[in-house]
Amino acid sequence: MNILEIKNIRKSFSNKNVLNGIDLEIKNGEISSIFGYSGEGKSTVLKIVSGILKQDSGDIILKSKNINNLEPYERLTPLVMDEPLLFPHMTVLENISFGLKLSNHRKKLLNSPKEILELLGITGLEKRYPSEISMGQAQRVSLARALIINPDILLMDEPFSNLDIISKIKVRKLIKDINRELKVSMLLVTHDIEDVINLSDKMFVLNDGKVQDSGHPSEVLKKPSTIDTAFLLGTENIFDGTILGIDENNNIIKVGIKTQDLKLGNEEKTGAAKNTAAAIEADFQGQGRLEKGEHVFAAIRPEEIMILREDRRASKPVRENRFSGKIVSKVFTSRMMEILIRTEENLEFKILIPFHAFEVMNLFEGKTVEVSLKKSSVHIIKKKKSSHSS
Amino acid sequence: MRKSLNKNKIFDLLVYIISFIFFLTLIILISGIFIQTSFVLFIKELKDAGLWNSIFLSFKLSFIVISINTIIGIPIAYVLSFKRSGVSFFLDLISTFPLTTSPLVIGFAVLITMGSLNPVGRFLMDRGIKFVFTPQGIVLVQLIISFPFFVNIVKTSFDSVNRKMIDLSKTLGASSFDVLFRIIIPLSYNGIIAGLAMSWSRSIGEYAATQMVSGVIPRITETAPIEVFVKTSYGNYPAAIAISGILMIISLFSLGVFKYFSYRTKTTNS
Repeated sequence: MNILEIKNIRKSFSNKNVLNGIDLEIKNGEISSIFGYSGEGKSTVLKIVSGILKQDSGDIILKSKNINNLEPYERLTPLVMDEPLLFPHMTVLENISFGLKLSNHRKKLLNSPKEILELLGITGLEKRYPSEISMGQAQRVSLARALIINPDILLMDEPFSNLDIISKIKVRKLIKDINRELKVSMLLVTHDIEDVINLSDKMFVLNDGKVQDSGHPSEVLKKPSTIDTAFLLGTENIFDGTILGIDENNNIIKVGIKTQDLKLGNEEKTGAAKNTAAAIEADFQGQGRLEKGEHVFAAIRPEEIMILREDRRASKPVRENRFSGKIVSKVFTSRMMEILIRTEENLEFKILIPFHAFEVMNLFEGKTVEVSLKKSSVHIIKKKKSSHSS
Repeated sequence: MRKSLNKNKIFDLLVYIISFIFFLTLIILISGIFIQTSFVLFIKELKDAGLWNSIFLSFKLSFIVISINTIIGIPIAYVLSFKRSGVSFFLDLISTFPLTTSPLVIGFAVLITMGSLNPVGRFLMDRGIKFVFTPQGIVLVQLIISFPFFVNIVKTSFDSVNRKMIDLSKTLGASSFDVLFRIIIPLSYNGIIAGLAMSWSRSIGEYAATQMVSGVIPRITETAPIEVFVKTSYGNYPAAIAISGILMIISLFSLGVFKYFSYRTKTTNS
């Protein structure tokens, strides 16, 4: 059952269209995320759902009931924002009980304040004032304050953006646990893909005032449906190409790719698109409708490219899409080693491998290695009428 | 030698000298009235019942004024602070207008409007409501003159309440009533008390407009500032000095209250 449906919501501020017909469906008990650049109107969606802002047109359906004309206090859609925004004149306990005390509260309560405090690990802070607790604690109090009214859906607007990395991980886990234990539906807005991957059952990519992509985060991440989404999600190794052939029976699509990497800013560096440099194969299944000769983008995520070990015989998948190239550069990132390889065809691949693999394989700048692009990991993105150029 | 001619030091010196001269002048002017008369005469006048009558009357009326101020001032400050629109500009203009107008003119306007020749005044008088030469007339003019102080201070205080917090509280189930009484007012206590102190001292010291509608009826409409004028015109300086002294202590006290709470507003909201 859908707890929340957003139908064709439009909103503009002083002639600037922020939302151009948003459609969302959120299942009961799930965590959904809206992901997008800052200033794309993500927060506006939450404000409209909670009733703080009125949409120009469109419908908000909560529990199969149209709530367009309900005041914020008549909906059960509390917001948790990037700042805790605790009431400074109330103690922690008074803050949490705020929603309970309001006379027009309609439903039986989910938990007593005590239980909520325990659940969120903030027992003992009851009598403190907001100025006397830490940011991470304050954000938990803010969560408790929203949860205690037994919300139909909990709205969260970048709830982690002001937390340090340790609190962030803790609060994230807490939210996941709460969702599992109490089956509270949640809608999260974030510009951090980590939040989306860690928490959500479903993600919506908001771009240019529209939902451009939706689905399970791992699906959307692996197979973005448009080039805009691919850029937004930080997809690397995107190549301009043409469909050379389709072999349905053997589940193969052949794509001729050009040397130009479409990652923003690279056009200037490499000059105009060159002729087809190489052909790669991709799975036919799951790619959508494609035609021979069609201009497309081929993308493969940096963590999906394999560097072949010299001391082992190649297994079947590693024999697919093999290239030989030189390591041009290596960069330590926080979790992985980022390697740039230039092949003999002048293609550049960015590859992410674990540190231990980097050491075991004795990799260094200038070394020539064999790489393989697993067929099933090559994702083909259809070109839209207007191709991405900036 | 070079160092002592440092520009910043010259600047500091100038600022201190100018402030000190001003401060000294003010003290001399104000304390002048206290050394004009003998202490014995001053004490004798303080025992005069008429003097206390006028002071109590002033107290009574000004408390009525600030009570009404609270009731009408908070909604007006709310509209000015939270419901910004084209209309609120005019509302702000009108409610601040008495600040920049001569009190004498305001008193005169009330005298004319509430007089028997004006339809409004006649309408009210026919129903037994009199604003001319009555205490309620004094309350009316003092209200007009003092409420801009209250509204402006309270509005500034309301302005500093975090709007995101208010939005959030609405999603927790708070109606506009809850938001006002549970969040805005508790967070603006300091501002409200500062506003009350300011409008109270403005009202208790008001002379010109009050004089216009009071009719100077002893014990009924003769407030303390009017009493000062009356005593001066009789040549009874010790009595005038006694009342002036008390009025000054009152305003110093309420100014202290105002300053204390407005400083607290600034520190708690930052």
